[in-house]
Amino acid sequence: MADDFNTGDMLSVYLFENQQLLENLQNIVMEQKDADGFDEDSINEIFRTMHTIKGSSGIMMFDEITKVSHKLEDVFYFIRESHPTTVPHVELVEHVLDVSDFIMAEMDKLSDGGDADGDATELVASLDAFLQKIKGENGAKEADTKPVQKEETPKQFYIAPETGGNSHFFRIYLTYNPEIQMASMHAYKTVFALKKIAKDILYSPEDILTNEATSDEIVKDGFNILIKTDATEEDIREIVQPGYDLTKVEVYECTAQEFQLGFEAEEAQILIDLDSSVEEIEKRADAKEGQTDTAPKKKIAPGDFVIASKEPGKGKNLAKERPAKKDKASFISVDIAKMDQLMDLIGELVISQSVVLQNPDLKVPGLNLDNFNKAAGQMKKISTDLQNVIMSMRMVPLTNTFQKMNRIVFEMSRKLGKDVTFEMIGDTTEVDKNIIEHISDPLMHLVRNSMDHGIETNEERLASSKQEKAKVTLSAKTESGKVWISVADNGKGLDRGQIMAKARQQGLLEPGRSESSYTDKEVYQFITLPGFSTNKKVTEFSGRGVGMDVVVSNLQKIGGTLEIDSVPGQGSTMNLKIPLTLAIIDGIVMDVGDSSFVMETGAVREFVHVTEDMLIHEPDGRESVMIRGACYPVIRLGDFYELHDYETKIANGMMVLVEIEKNVVCLFVDRLVGKQEIVVKPIPKYIKKVKGLSGCTQLGDGSIALILDAAGLMEY
Amino acid sequence: MRILLAEDDFVTRKFMMNFLSSYGECDAAVDGMEAVDAYLMALEDGEPYDLACLDIMMPVMDGYQVLRSIRDLEADHGIPEEEQVKVIMTTALNDEENVKMAFDLGCSVYSGKPINKEKFDQALKKLGLI
Amino acid sequence: MSEFDTQKDKYVTFQSGSEYFGLKIEYVNEIIVFQEITEIPESPEYVKGLINLRGKIIPVVDVRLRFHQEPIPYTDRTCIIVIRYEQMVVGLIVEKIAEVVEIPAENILPSPSIGKNDNAKSRFVSGIGKVGNDVKLLLDPAKLLGDEEAALVGHLNNEDESEEGEE
Repeated sequence: MADDFNTGDMLSVYLFENQQLLENLQNIVMEQKDADGFDEDSINEIFRTMHTIKGSSGIMMFDEITKVSHKLEDVFYFIRESHPTTVPHVELVEHVLDVSDFIMAEMDKLSDGGDADGDATELVASLDAFLQKIKGENGAKEADTKPVQKEETPKQFYIAPETGGNSHFFRIYLTYNPEIQMASMHAYKTVFALKKIAKDILYSPEDILTNEATSDEIVKDGFNILIKTDATEEDIREIVQPGYDLTKVEVYECTAQEFQLGFEAEEAQILIDLDSSVEEIEKRADAKEGQTDTAPKKKIAPGDFVIASKEPGKGKNLAKERPAKKDKASFISVDIAKMDQLMDLIGELVISQSVVLQNPDLKVPGLNLDNFNKAAGQMKKISTDLQNVIMSMRMVPLTNTFQKMNRIVFEMSRKLGKDVTFEMIGDTTEVDKNIIEHISDPLMHLVRNSMDHGIETNEERLASSKQEKAKVTLSAKTESGKVWISVADNGKGLDRGQIMAKARQQGLLEPGRSESSYTDKEVYQFITLPGFSTNKKVTEFSGRGVGMDVVVSNLQKIGGTLEIDSVPGQGSTMNLKIPLTLAIIDGIVMDVGDSSFVMETGAVREFVHVTEDMLIHEPDGRESVMIRGACYPVIRLGDFYELHDYETKIANGMMVLVEIEKNVVCLFVDRLVGKQEIVVKPIPKYIKKVKGLSGCTQLGDGSIALILDAAGLMEY
Repeated sequence: MRILLAEDDFVTRKFMMNFLSSYGECDAAVDGMEAVDAYLMALEDGEPYDLACLDIMMPVMDGYQVLRSIRDLEADHGIPEEEQVKVIMTTALNDEENVKMAFDLGCSVYSGKPINKEKFDQALKKLGLI
Repeated sequence: MSEFDTQKDKYVTFQSGSEYFGLKIEYVNEIIVFQEITEIPESPEYVKGLINLRGKIIPVVDVRLRFHQEPIPYTDRTCIIVIRYEQMVVGLIVEKIAEVVEIPAENILPSPSIGKNDNAKSRFVSGIGKVGNDVKLLLDPAKLLGDEEAALVGHLNNEDESEEGEE
């Protein structure tokens, strides 16, 4: 498996830089596709992009990519130098997109650890034909045109290490049961068993056969193994299984480089200094920074890689310390896995912080906690700042996602023969990277639907005398902790009658409920049910009725909802609402009986102490409460969830007013515990979905609280 | 073709010797110093190497130092660029700065380990060695 | 050496009522003492709730209730066996933990599907292991964790289904 984003790795750098260039190229093309021709700056930029890709691909020996980028470079060189007047723009745009798609596809293969084995021959031939055509049409004879820049055949090549199902490298940490004797013997047996599948194996401590003291070391610190093998992680786990003696087996894939550098390369431990004051720590940090500054930009040099002679069981030790890497200015690419790790850690920090601040040890009466509280306040502030920075690091603008939609509209409008423009609003809105990954597919589906079914054919539009050009609009904005994305079209809208008919046919209607009592919104929601599609024809793009429900379930995974609005004859709008941060929210903790619940602070409007006489009992058993002249439905959480030992007397508990988008419900709880930052954790897979709950979390005292989902509760 | 291999690890050395022998006569050095000595010896014997395959991480002198020494010796002996020995560096290190330094010092091919035999062959063809 | 080759024949056993049950050691992550459980509403009787295992929140199931037996009060002998099967990590509350035994394949008899006794137990038992003069009922984690419709439905609801592409 190829490394993904190991900063500095040749292949990764190649892929990263060129993918950036190609995305940029696509943007330019999209912007200018409707113009008469590319402007001068764009021509230059496209030329330079192809030139760069040609060069780096040549070094990496990716011949097909080199050939095709070279050909396109030639085309743009001609356009730049000879300023031809009649270049068929649309054709040129298609060629550029074809080349870009080809190279992107090859790069995808490479980043998955495969080979760039695509064949660009046809592509190159068609580019060549195009080039000859525009040369011919512009009267330029072959001999007249300036020769294309000197052929620079690269003379230096980089060959990526062989991957593709061959050697993998793994780090294995073994934790042994402290009660066993002779841990070193167990360790040795493991190594022996692994040698059968290992091309190379290193382990620490190494002297397990000769030194008895290693048994203690192994029990205390664990046993480390680095292995190079053709086998997979599963194969390793087959051989090394936890059991009575071996309590934990951790297997991590690592790079060839890490394997080579052996055990010395492990990260230094970060020690937490509890003694020194904040000022002292900051001073030390500054001093350290100063030190590294005096040796600015320490580059590598010949001689840095001399090794002490290799001993068995040891990795290659560099005789010299490898110098620190110099920082790249402004931006660095970061391994997504590390970002996720960081998110997890900040989550743990938040929990840990609560455990400290709510520690029972502190509840000694009469204790003066002034200084403590001041320090705690400072710590909370820093941790909040830390959270915010980390969250913001993960925020990515929607631009690229929206641009993809632009591309889809462009392609579909040509394939379907419908004249459609694309409009983007608020594409610079930023959302968490996690969200982008989950909405890309749903958005694509919604856009395709609009194009395929929403927007009428050109003839139909003329017939219905619709004036404006058909348009698909994608817009995004953030509001009250949620990001709102909508896909709107000015097509023919949804047909309520048709949907109702299908719903009736599929037996989806509530028995005893009149059809006219269904609001338009409710009717439109039917199309999100699995297998529902009112399309008589299945087209290449949609109509099989498998899509909308997937859109909704994808959205639900990130806590989002889909609302559908439509005006027959005028168009439809799909509204997606997604909460901005998934992982850490501010919550109000409340108790009901033995259970603790948390509700997101944003949804809580107020707490009201209510008396029996303010309650209204409906004939169907439901209750409502009158508060300041307004009537709200009541849910007694104790009854709702059939808990135990909860407060039943209204006057002894508390009403929590919860509001989501103008819908209000009152939850009756025993008491409020307080406000707390909580880390949202999903309810374990094994447990079936519970109404009104969206997750669980660990509170400051270590107990578990269930997270309430306001929107879910309101459905009841 | 005369080939010089510098590789300190026994198993890898055996593999490389095997592989390179199909291209020509192959000599092996086990550390950087020995590699430079071997190179000079061949030069002075009038039978210089056409291709040098150098590991980077080696005892005594690393691959970069060997490359630099070889280029220095070639300059000393007035050997023109076209006739200079083509150098292939082999290593598990794949960082951009490592590759750049190698190219700057005059290496023709930088190959990650494990060696991709097809690409290696391809590169040799591109260099005109086979 | 022999130890590692026969990892697969080792079973963690526990006592429940008058019988002994066994679980393949490869499914057992760890064994912990009983700890406070947070109830989950609307769950089957045998799903007692959630526990906090060093920061990870995992569901726990009372084995006796799962077998439709009468529950007994928890004592200080009560343990939780944390098992992992496919993507699920679940804790099993058991009355009393017994030892790890080795049961080679030839000592395992298929579970008799007698209509008589069982509704519950035999459904979860994949075989009967003989150890000396005793028998251990060997449990099938897939059936233990998955079979009942409730859990099955939940599984489908919560599972990440990303195979379905467009249309």
